[in-house]
Amino acid sequence: MSCKKFKILLSAYLDQEITQDEEKKLLNHLKTCLDCARELKYLKQMKRVFLLKEKKEPQEFFETRLFARIRSKRERLAWRAYLPVFKKSILAVLIFFLLVVGLLNYRNFLYHRPAEIISDLLIDTEIEENFEEELLEIYYGPLG
Amino acid sequence: MEEDFELLAKFKKGDQQAFELLVRKYKMTVYNTIYSIMGNAQEADDIAQEVFLKVYTKADSFKGESSFSTWLYRITVNRCVDELRRRKNKIISYETEFNQEEKLKLKDVLASRENDITEKLRRKELQDIIQKAMNSLPEKYRIILTLKEIEGLSYKEISQIMKISLAKVKIWLFRARQKLKGKLAFLYSQGE
Repeated sequence: MSCKKFKILLSAYLDQEITQDEEKKLLNHLKTCLDCARELKYLKQMKRVFLLKEKKEPQEFFETRLFARIRSKRERLAWRAYLPVFKKSILAVLIFFLLVVGLLNYRNFLYHRPAEIISDLLIDTEIEENFEEELLEIYYGPLG
Repeated sequence: MEEDFELLAKFKKGDQQAFELLVRKYKMTVYNTIYSIMGNAQEADDIAQEVFLKVYTKADSFKGESSFSTWLYRITVNRCVDELRRRKNKIISYETEFNQEEKLKLKDVLASRENDITEKLRRKELQDIIQKAMNSLPEKYRIILTLKEIEGLSYKEISQIMKISLAKVKIWLFRARQKLKGKLAFLYSQGE
């Protein structure tokens, strides 16, 4: 096994993550290889650097801030939970409204024609009445 | 571990207090993991809040295939990775070079005895120095060293959290330590 492979093993050895067989080979190698023995010393020192690192506290009122955010999120989620029900109701109301408007317009179209069409019809009726009067005058002489 | 599952089960049934207990139990772990990876206290606080919000909304997706803490670490690391990717578009630079005073301080503390009172005082000053060393590493090495050295997780747990093989965990940790060794070379030289 090369020195580089032993150095990889050294890192795992430090973490107690090597097999017994690997450990045996490594310890034998360390007896004869000064370079790897020095490497182990460095790695141990580095590990000590991390032991000096202390745990830090989160900033003030971490939990209060978090639970306030959760409350606001819960309210939003609660509203969203009703959204599918709201959607169906809104759709039903919209369809009903369109049906009513559509029906009314249809009735208007049938029974209430636009003003200009009605006036045209009135003119036509007047002409027709005049024509009848003219015919009566031809046959029976002037009326009255 | 059993306790976590119980609390989570209670929370899923609507017990808000169970969630509060989980937050109290893991807030330091989550915060310190993020702080070590991101290197910034304010950012660590914001991300820690988002992590717990995600736990709150996605608790139903946790099927119990791993421990709760592994799941929580995975959410935490993923959130950090997202943030680091987003950060790549911004220009944020952290100081990663040690000055002479910092080098001497670190050397002194490592040479002094564990139970020394003055050492304890100095330790506080050292936190920034250690973080500076971490900030100098590439992201994946910062994450793996955090999980191993700060959180003390096993290789198996790290492989589950980072979704990499055990062999990769071994190699990445070796390389991370080699990089860090280069950064802390002054500790080993006699001249400084």
